[in-house]
Amino acid sequence: MEAKSGKAGDWRSYERVLLPKVKDYHQLEVYEANGGYKALREILTNDKWDPTAVTNEVKKSGLKGRGGAGFPTGLKWSFMPPVVEGVPRYLCCNGDESEPGTFKDRQLLEYNPHAVFEGMLIASYAMSLAGSYLYIRGEYADWITHMEGELKKAYDKGYVGKNIMGSGFSSELVIHKGAGAYICGEESSLMNSLEGKRAYPRVKPPFPAQKGIWGYPTTINNVETLAAVPYIINRGGAWFAGTGAEKHPGPVLYGISGHVNRPGVYEYPTGMLMTDLIYEVAGGIRGGKKLKAVVPGGSSTPVLRADMIEGVTMDADSLREAGSMMGTSGMLVMDEDTDMVSFLRRITHFYHHESCGQCTPCREGTGWLENIVTRIDEGEGHLRDLDLLVDLCSEMEGRTVCALADAAAWPVRYTIDRFRSEFEAKCRASLVSSGIDLAEVSA
Amino acid sequence: MADFIKNPVVELPERNPAPSFPASELVFTDAEKAQIAEYVERYPTADGAIMRALWLAQEKFGYLPPDVIKLAAEEVGMPYAKAYGVATFYTQYYKKKMGAHVLDVCTCFSCQICGGYDMLHYLENKLGIHKGETTEDGQFSIQEVECLGACGSAPMLQVTNGSYVHNLTTDKVDALIDALREGKSWPFESVTLPQDEDDLGGNRRTDVTATETYQTPPASETIA
Ligand SMILES: Cc1cc2nc3c(=O)[nH]c(=O)nc-3n(C[C@H](O)[C@H](O)[C@H](O)COP(=O)(O)O)c2cc1C
Ligand code: SF4
Repeated sequence: MEAKSGKAGDWRSYERVLLPKVKDYHQLEVYEANGGYKALREILTNDKWDPTAVTNEVKKSGLKGRGGAGFPTGLKWSFMPPVVEGVPRYLCCNGDESEPGTFKDRQLLEYNPHAVFEGMLIASYAMSLAGSYLYIRGEYADWITHMEGELKKAYDKGYVGKNIMGSGFSSELVIHKGAGAYICGEESSLMNSLEGKRAYPRVKPPFPAQKGIWGYPTTINNVETLAAVPYIINRGGAWFAGTGAEKHPGPVLYGISGHVNRPGVYEYPTGMLMTDLIYEVAGGIRGGKKLKAVVPGGSSTPVLRADMIEGVTMDADSLREAGSMMGTSGMLVMDEDTDMVSFLRRITHFYHHESCGQCTPCREGTGWLENIVTRIDEGEGHLRDLDLLVDLCSEMEGRTVCALADAAAWPVRYTIDRFRSEFEAKCRASLVSSGIDLAEVSA
Repeated sequence: MADFIKNPVVELPERNPAPSFPASELVFTDAEKAQIAEYVERYPTADGAIMRALWLAQEKFGYLPPDVIKLAAEEVGMPYAKAYGVATFYTQYYKKKMGAHVLDVCTCFSCQICGGYDMLHYLENKLGIHKGETTEDGQFSIQEVECLGACGSAPMLQVTNGSYVHNLTTDKVDALIDALREGKSWPFESVTLPQDEDDLGGNRRTDVTATETYQTPPASETIA
């Protein structure tokens, strides 16, 4: 059985932690009754926990960011410079979740908001911060309203604000409402958005830890990353490190969408076999069809063909070997009837629409990617367009202020690479290739 | 003068915007002013509050023409041009007058392969307008939008920057339009986790009236 379960161990008997089996866990009273804010109380009242000890526990847990890049969280926290009297420092919790295929943060915000708050407060203590901002995308208006209600309760109970639980430690928490822009999920763009500017990403370095919001040291973490922190304190870093894949451990929220019998957000350990997730957890492909392709972690992670996922587990190493990435673990499953050309066309449209326009390779490149893929999809493509597209990707990757250009180029590069025959077929069947004069056709 | 200065390709903010509302209406009430002052308190500089102030202004005036942006900027205490830059960066701030109900249909990625376009076209036919347009009676606008973060319950749409409507079918769209026409609002739909169905026998929240479950997307071209 072990071999079939990937690195996740016996996942069928896994007990959920981030979304535990408790009704109304999103309400403060229920959260408290089930060990909520215990971790915060522990670190604030037990002398054993100085800020460094908290950071070390997070390091020991092996927690890696759940926002897409998978950066080790404890290490990121330790990049914050030493405290200087009179210089404020901040945390931004990234709840902008707009990567197509990703919908797990929304469910976490709905069903476990207090773990996000508690994680933010523990992080504030570990990095000696005066305050933190929770940036939530504007589309999640209903969830923002719910969370503001719960946050108010936490303030009233003295878990947030001045002199928390009488410990002398103070930290404010503000929920910021976005207004519809994918780019705000990029950390430096998020900071500009918070400051009340157009949300253009910033050139790095300086990194946020040196110069973040309003020029002060800042750390940015994803919602799910921070929600894991209270459980790491309660259960110990070793528990977390021992769950799931050794080098990319912990419970993780998988968001499975597309042509499966049971889509949804699932909590399981990292390192699950992709085939287990698709065929066991999500009940297989709808209508008894065959699997064609999977995008493992949001639209920018390279698509995998059905024949490439055998034995692949959901963790950074295994997915890298397979030729993709863990990303946000928002997994899109496509059945055999899916048209990969129009699928790619929609992705290129997304990135073109969301490019902030600062860098020429990205602003123009995303437009050309969309134009050319659209041309192929509409039956007016040339075979040479395929190499042109790949060339264009090379001109975009690594040449811009932020990683959006790379995120836009990867799906094009890898979808063409892995489904080339389908693109070629569309080009061959096109009017241009068959020698028909387009001017005559449209006349 | 260079041609591009006379005919700028980018719309520049009007220094003295033409009025969209009579002067008597273009004011914030004391309560709204107090609310904006409270937003300003939350940030080290006033500018941080502009997004919230613009949201408040849009809820009040329906959209954000230049004079409304200017009003919000002045209330927050930041330059109008800067506020204009912010308002025009984000897609959820309406730059022109919209219908009473704005239907944002997601067609991105997961929704695309699960019938998002079928739903968009069904709506367009039903209301007799294209995306980007508003019905003559001013009741409905349709927009095609990017990923709304509800991929597991695709196809879906959002009503006027508020309620999410999950697992769309043509019947559900009909019901939605009827409800909105009757002046009812669509309830908040809490989507049940599949693991909660197994472990808790249904949705984990007892404080919501409407629940949805994650469902296999319909396979048909023209969703029933
Ligand atoms: C174009 C772009 C969009 C991003 N969008 C998001 C997002 O929506 N949510 C998120 O948490 N991280 C997003 N990220 C990653 C963040 O920049 C950042 O790495 C992350 O929030 C750090 O948190 P973590 O270390 O906890 O993962 C995005 C990055 C890029 C380049
Ligand atoms: S890469 Fe694209 S999105 Fe990122 S800063 Fe440059 S233009 Fe903007």
